[in-house]
Amino acid sequence: MSRPRIPPELLAMMARGVSVIVASRDATLRPSMMRAMGSSVESEGRRITVFVSRAQARQLLQDLAAGAPIAAVFSEPATHHCVQVKASRVAMRDATSGDESLLARYLASMEREVQRVGFPPHLTRAMLACRVSDLVAIEFEPEQAFDQTPGPRAGKPLVEAAP
Amino acid sequence: MNELRVPDIRACLEGAIPANMATCAADGTPNVAFLSQVYYVDEEHVALSFQFFNKTRQNILANPQAAVLLLHPQTAAYYRLHLRYLRTETSGPLFEGMKAQLAGIASHSGMQAVFKLLGADVYRVERIEAVPGEPLPPALPRGGMLAAVRRCSEQLARCNSLDEALNAVLSTLNHCMGVLHAMVLMVDPAAQRLYTVASSGYATSGIGSEVQLGQGVIGVAARERTPVRITHMTNAATYTQAVRSSFEAGEGTMDAATDIPYPGLAQPRSQLAVPILAAGRLLGVVFVESPDDMRFGYEDEDMLVAMAGQLGATVELVQVTGDAADAPPAAAEPEPTASGEPLQLRRFAGTDSVFVGDNYLIKGVAGAILWKLLRDHAGQGRCDFSNRELRLDPSIRLPDVTDNLEARLVLLRRRLAEQCPAIRIEKTGRGRFRLHVERPVVLTEIS
Repeated sequence: MSRPRIPPELLAMMARGVSVIVASRDATLRPSMMRAMGSSVESEGRRITVFVSRAQARQLLQDLAAGAPIAAVFSEPATHHCVQVKASRVAMRDATSGDESLLARYLASMEREVQRVGFPPHLTRAMLACRVSDLVAIEFEPEQAFDQTPGPRAGKPLVEAAP
Repeated sequence: MNELRVPDIRACLEGAIPANMATCAADGTPNVAFLSQVYYVDEEHVALSFQFFNKTRQNILANPQAAVLLLHPQTAAYYRLHLRYLRTETSGPLFEGMKAQLAGIASHSGMQAVFKLLGADVYRVERIEAVPGEPLPPALPRGGMLAAVRRCSEQLARCNSLDEALNAVLSTLNHCMGVLHAMVLMVDPAAQRLYTVASSGYATSGIGSEVQLGQGVIGVAARERTPVRITHMTNAATYTQAVRSSFEAGEGTMDAATDIPYPGLAQPRSQLAVPILAAGRLLGVVFVESPDDMRFGYEDEDMLVAMAGQLGATVELVQVTGDAADAPPAAAEPEPTASGEPLQLRRFAGTDSVFVGDNYLIKGVAGAILWKLLRDHAGQGRCDFSNRELRLDPSIRLPDVTDNLEARLVLLRRRLAEQCPAIRIEKTGRGRFRLHVERPVVLTEIS
């Protein structure tokens, strides 16, 4: 299988801290989903961590713990630029105080992003209100990536250019 | 806690913040998509806009289970909907209502080239989860909506004419709801058009101006018999209620000469049109608009639908009582002799268009009614008339008994008041009225 390769401009968007929605499914293929309260993108997109709240994402965490695959969409509200990444397995750990600065940066970035489409920062803070002790960090290596910006290219796989 | 139902989360369906949807392929791979639209269908169903043949589409056809994550636009509370795909509608009221709303959403988000509704995907809502979080306190509930409906209902129950009923609806909208721009149009089923019989808040009343069925927000609401609500009109050009140009009307100069300009806002940002129905028939449309974005929410829509229902019943009732006329009134006081410069009235027989001097006055059924009244007045000196005799008069060519004669008379009365105040029509009782002619009249027929 060709390895995903996310173009630098989309990678920069994902790494900056934009809207992230995470999904999985149970054994009967019923979808589970929640918004991430934080994210980090490292190693040119080869390592992604998303943070979700245990209280808010019980089913999602249960499905991932059972070995179901993950899908996560990163999107910039003001431009609709959108990337979906998928992986067949994840590693999970409790968030720690070491993640706090990353989560704070993410919140600050989201306040700006959401303000660009007309919603005040206090709404974003309510939207992303969480305690670190309640968060689970979900780490994965994307096996597939798709450009999901609405339009003619929507759904196009993002892969290494053929040699 | 009580189980949540779709009506409890309608504020989340207003499209302010895009919702997300998760589906799962037959091979078990999950997928996340953005939704332009989650549309309220009823207490147990929502419809999602099908715009692209994409992964989501493939997934729901293979596996009908879906989840949708909604965010309350004021409190930031999350709700998770567990859905099951039922069917896709590609025409009809639901489809058209969504299509119009989507045009507004697309316009607002600069996506009008991309967002095109291919279908309305209908889902059963199996469960709604209130996701724990730290939401903001909810805004104070909007008061006065039910009281406004009550006020309108009380006023309508007292009406015994269409004039009063139209005034009751417009005054409720103005005074109780702060709606500054509104109009009521009635349908002419034979011509497949709606004509304006009442308006408020515009530079010109536009009484008599016409909208074709299917044209703009008003025409779509009438054709599909469904409310149409657009909250961001910036560029929703397809739905802008453009003036019906004489070019579009075709037929050369006569149509252009008899076109009354549509009175609506040049740059509306929010519009809501609701059909007036009674006994399953379309009678007309109540229309409100605003220069502000997001002026009309689902509560406004609910309220207007309730008012339009009451108006429809009232219109039917005054029609029936109008046809069963009171006994003729006592002989009128002798009319003061008409004096002054004679009015030159011309009628073009083909269209029943009537002109006063060079100014267009009225056409169609209302034009034929006016001509009959004036001829009987000139020839027999009559000034008292009944609805019933108009209905029976073959020269008027009323389409059939269900035609809204009262609405034609309101149109005629209001056009006369605006364009030719020397001729007046005054209601003298149930189904009866009197013609007042204050200047000498010269009638000329042009065939």
